[in-house]
Amino acid sequence: MPNFKYTSEFQFDPSDPFGHMQEEFPRRSEFDVVIIGAGPNGLIAGAYLARAGLKVAVVERRFEAGGGLATEENLYPCYSSNPHVLYHMMVDYMPAIRDFELDGPALTWIRPNSQTGMVFEDGSSILLARMANDTKDSIAKYSFKDAVTFGKVVRKWRKIVDDIIAPATYIPPMAPIEITMAMQRTPVGQEMLELGELSPLQLITETFDHDKVRALLLYASCMWGLDPRETGLGFMVPLMIDRAMNKCYCYGGSHKFASALGRQVLKGGGLILEAATVDKILIENGRAVGVHLFHEDRELRAKVVMSTLDPHTTFLDMVGEQHLDAALKESVKGWAWDKWSFNTLHIAANEKPKYRCDDPWIDQAFATVVGIEGVDSLLQHWGNVAKGKLDLNAFGGHSTCESQFDPTLSDRPGKYVSMFQIHAPYDLEGGWLARRDEIQEAILARWRKAAPNLTPENIVSRSMEDPEEIEIRFPHMRRGSIKHGDYRPLQMGYYRPNEHCSSTRTPIEGLYVCGVSTYPGGLVLGGPGYLGANSVAEDLGVKKWWKPTPEMDRYIKTYLS
Amino acid sequence: MSKDERFDVVVIGAGPNGMTTAAYLAKCGLSVCVLEERTECGGACETQEPIPGVRIFPHAMLMYASPAPGFEQLELHKHGFRMNWSPHDVLTENTDFACTDGWRPITDKDKLGWAKLGGLLGTPPFTRDLMRATFWCPPHPPEVEVTDENVPYMQVYKQHQPDIWTHELREMTMLDLLDEHCETEHFKTAMAFAAWASGAAGHWEGVAIPAVTSVQLLTLPNTGNRSIPRGGLHGYFHAIHRAAVSHGAVVRTCCPVDEILIEDGRAVGVRLRETAAMGGRTIRANKAVIAAIDVHQAFLKMVGPRHLDPGVIQKIKDVSLKNQTLYVSVFHTKTPLKLNAKFASHQEAKGIGSGPGRTPQLGVYPCDSREIYYENVADVDGHKGQPVVPAERVMWFHGPPQTFDPTDCQASYKRGYISNAFEVAVTSPDLHKEGEDALDRYKAEMDAYMRKAYSQMVDGLDDANLIHHWSATGRDVEFRNTGLIGGTWCGSRHDEDQLWTNRPIQELARYRTPIEGLYHAHQTSGHPGGLCLMAIPYNLMHILIEDGIAEPGDWWYASPWYIPQHGKISARRG
Ligand SMILES: Cc1cc2nc3c(=O)[nH]c(=O)nc-3n(C[C@H](O)[C@H](O)[C@H](O)COP(=O)(O)OP(=O)(O)OC[C@H]3O[C@@H](n4cnc5c(N)ncnc54)[C@H](O)[C@@H]3O)c2cc1C
Ligand SMILES: Cc1cc2nc3c(=O)[nH]c(=O)nc-3n(C[C@H](O)[C@H](O)[C@H](O)COP(=O)(O)OP(=O)(O)OC[C@H]3O[C@@H](n4cnc5c(N)ncnc54)[C@H](O)[C@@H]3O)c2cc1C
Repeated sequence: MPNFKYTSEFQFDPSDPFGHMQEEFPRRSEFDVVIIGAGPNGLIAGAYLARAGLKVAVVERRFEAGGGLATEENLYPCYSSNPHVLYHMMVDYMPAIRDFELDGPALTWIRPNSQTGMVFEDGSSILLARMANDTKDSIAKYSFKDAVTFGKVVRKWRKIVDDIIAPATYIPPMAPIEITMAMQRTPVGQEMLELGELSPLQLITETFDHDKVRALLLYASCMWGLDPRETGLGFMVPLMIDRAMNKCYCYGGSHKFASALGRQVLKGGGLILEAATVDKILIENGRAVGVHLFHEDRELRAKVVMSTLDPHTTFLDMVGEQHLDAALKESVKGWAWDKWSFNTLHIAANEKPKYRCDDPWIDQAFATVVGIEGVDSLLQHWGNVAKGKLDLNAFGGHSTCESQFDPTLSDRPGKYVSMFQIHAPYDLEGGWLARRDEIQEAILARWRKAAPNLTPENIVSRSMEDPEEIEIRFPHMRRGSIKHGDYRPLQMGYYRPNEHCSSTRTPIEGLYVCGVSTYPGGLVLGGPGYLGANSVAEDLGVKKWWKPTPEMDRYIKTYLS
Repeated sequence: MSKDERFDVVVIGAGPNGMTTAAYLAKCGLSVCVLEERTECGGACETQEPIPGVRIFPHAMLMYASPAPGFEQLELHKHGFRMNWSPHDVLTENTDFACTDGWRPITDKDKLGWAKLGGLLGTPPFTRDLMRATFWCPPHPPEVEVTDENVPYMQVYKQHQPDIWTHELREMTMLDLLDEHCETEHFKTAMAFAAWASGAAGHWEGVAIPAVTSVQLLTLPNTGNRSIPRGGLHGYFHAIHRAAVSHGAVVRTCCPVDEILIEDGRAVGVRLRETAAMGGRTIRANKAVIAAIDVHQAFLKMVGPRHLDPGVIQKIKDVSLKNQTLYVSVFHTKTPLKLNAKFASHQEAKGIGSGPGRTPQLGVYPCDSREIYYENVADVDGHKGQPVVPAERVMWFHGPPQTFDPTDCQASYKRGYISNAFEVAVTSPDLHKEGEDALDRYKAEMDAYMRKAYSQMVDGLDDANLIHHWSATGRDVEFRNTGLIGGTWCGSRHDEDQLWTNRPIQELARYRTPIEGLYHAHQTSGHPGGLCLMAIPYNLMHILIEDGIAEPGDWWYASPWYIPQHGKISARRG
């Protein structure tokens, strides 16, 4: 039962015969915590705090909660897909999944062994599998040496992930100097520090010889937005590759994850308010005291406001520059958006894509990279994208047939929903509106070249979401920024979104930030929301009903005590 | 595999009726599990965003539920329920109706007659009571003879507007009644059509009042009128969903039920289909299983002939699906749709043109005379095939615009213009003489036919201006939502043979079934049928109280016109 207070009369008047018959949510209400945005992070923060006994409202602009955790009928009518989050990278570590028991009857996770394939124009292929020896077998087609190296290296990398990076995702960030000191304590930590010096490209080319092996691993390392040539974030490569081997599909679609989290908010007595757009964070005497909703003259007042939006929206639009100190203002204005966005083509077809290649496991892969012939062609494609270009004769991307894991996406039996996603510039040369159709055809042609059964007759419905449309769906994903802001050393770790706010607390009393523009950052890691909930629980003096996961405990003992 | 889960009550189907039932029962303190086949709850009460920034209501769009006791009893306002009140009223402002020769005004007599039938001229809460009596009251028990004295809406008229109460009232059609109380033919035609599209048609004997009141739920100033909830009807559904969950209901999506488990004549649980997103396949119910899914699936498949006698099976098979499929179209255009020359005089008044009010609200077209209405009805329910009515004479209606709200896509979409839904009644796919997939085969043709029909009134649906035409046929509807049998919006017609003590058939009229512990709560099976009214669950509550299953707290009140079944616990308190 939501437990919030009315602070003024509602407009419903039962004695007025011509007044409205039904009572509505009040114009003025009072909560302990108001959270802006019901994406994964807002829902996670809300679920923890509601169960801790606080009065929580999660306010969401769209008609549906979930943010990036969406499953929608974008192939209307009859076919749904996951327009944004499809690959769940942290299911095995995310505290929220354990604390709310979201891996039993509530949610079913599918983690196929055949994870990421790459097919080449000559019909050859390479496969990254969950089980290392299957990957080694595939690499061995090209280089036994690389296969052996892979076997050794992934074990080391796995340790870095398991001992350090994964648990640290859910522990407040430390300043670089503190990290350096802490990591010195163990050989694994020292190794991680060394990797940090390298760029992904250096690390991968130094470790592996064969071009196709390198191409696959570089794709897996950088597909979420690392710059292949930038040094300082090399430690992310082990994480990205380990995670690329462990992606999960959420049966029923990613939105099911959001619904499960949402129900936890409600079970704890919290409220989720959709179709409610926050336009102002109310500031009184320098303190955040609530939010105002656009077009419906409603105010939700609260002891604490948590924003999961990007720094521009939160601080410049909703708080207002007049309330920011110079340092905060400057760092917010200097925020850099993602270096590239995504362009995704969704189709419903009579068949699932059947790739023309030498390994039948590719057809079962969770993701299949198409159109990349080697490291050079990959770097060229990314280079183009960074310059606002797409070379329609030389580009690549990854595809997934969601229906092979999830029959529920197609309302018509026997049809398959698949998608093809490419990295794409927001500021496309020529403009998206003008070039959409041409690009859609080029993607289909490229896809069909690799999977010849995707003939026009076999495709029953299609729909494409370009980077501008990502921003239309989610205005806070500015310039199509899927992570609300770039991955670059100065926007990572302790500096995400800046050193004033990366702890989730901000210089404005009562205001917290906990979306993917805050440490640890993007994708559905469940980190920012969890950390935000921890800060708020501590600051409001409520007892935490949850405990760190065993990996976190181990990390704290080894590195922080 | 894990042990079977156990709940007091298992509800099959998370459409508005299933979820409202769950909310009521969870609020009574029962442990409830709701099982839904699709990834998303809501049934036909949903919103979709086929392309970013564009929201479509594939099915339900209009708010009929205003008088529902559920708003108070489930305290939906606490669960975030909000309306998005339109500044426009239906009958106070736009009083012209569209006919083939242009706009025709309606008269004060039309308005007064309509207001009188709707209880606006009597003492409040006359209107609310009239609506509640019609929809929010369980059918009388079988031992009670239904008479002019005890039919709930008759009692309300007798009390508040005795001159309407006559022995003929229950014999009449809505058109008969309008002939008595209203004046212009186009008003009557439009209202008869709206009634047909709201369940009980204007030319059916015996349901004049249900027909009139179902339209009044949309037109009277103190009902939903032209306004919809924030977030559409899906937003309203969300408030119900939140109420259910916050009272402890467990909701499982992607969990289609395959079979209702019956032991010794009693429903004891359900078995899930093998594609269900759950390890355990059997879920047990200690007290009741509630089928909030369509009557055909529930009884012909999940219960089946092993537990029902052939006479009942035949009757269930015969539940008439005739009541039109709605062919729903939404348009994405380069420039806004505009009224064509014949209608342009109302461009301003109807809020067309540039600025926030840039899509027209057209209501019903063409309303010239009841002959057009008859022609359309015969085409849909009689001919059972592709339409033969020329596109110029197809009757259609148009949803209310949301352009007054800048947060709505119709007002703010940047890549062109989005219309509100246009809907035409067509034959149910299951009854189509060329086979149930005929609508699939004719889709392109039908799309063109629809555009031609709308082009009688609006300009801008030509190829040069059209970017996309989203259309959902009854066939699509059937696949999208298993509950919408026959692809029809309400599943089965709301006529005298299938309403009140006859819905869906006499044997099942009070939500009980021949199987102990099994109840039904779907639009196709329970009175008052289709629409997102929270009525079936409210009515069902009376029965569950009678059977000792639900024991609500002080928040509960029974319908004042309810008659308890002999020998049962009365659902009335005090
Ligand atoms: C095309 C694409 C593909 C992706 N694929 C993956 C993937 O496979 N795996 C993965 O892990 N990640 C993926 N991501 C990234 C992932 O979606 C995001 O990192 C994640 O959703 C961010 O979570 P969040 O809770 O911080 O914010 P969001 O999910 O962005 O949620 C923020 C919420 O705030 C709401 N909001 C915005 N403005 C307001 C306002 N004014 N008032 C109220 N509410 C507001 C939004 O509507 C939204 O629901 C993808 C993203 C995109 C765009
Ligand atoms: C085109 C159209 C327009 C409409 N317009 C309006 C309107 O404007 N206003 C209005 O009030 N109403 C409108 N309606 C009617 C309204 O949507 C329905 O009356 C209402 O949704 C019925 O609710 P229900 O819960 O009885 O059934 P449904 O909404 O059909 O829900 C049944 C649920 O059960 C699920 N289910 C089915 N089989 C199984 C199974 N085996 N196991 C588990 N789950 C299962 C389904 O997936 C579905 O979610 C419209 C309907 C249509 C089709």
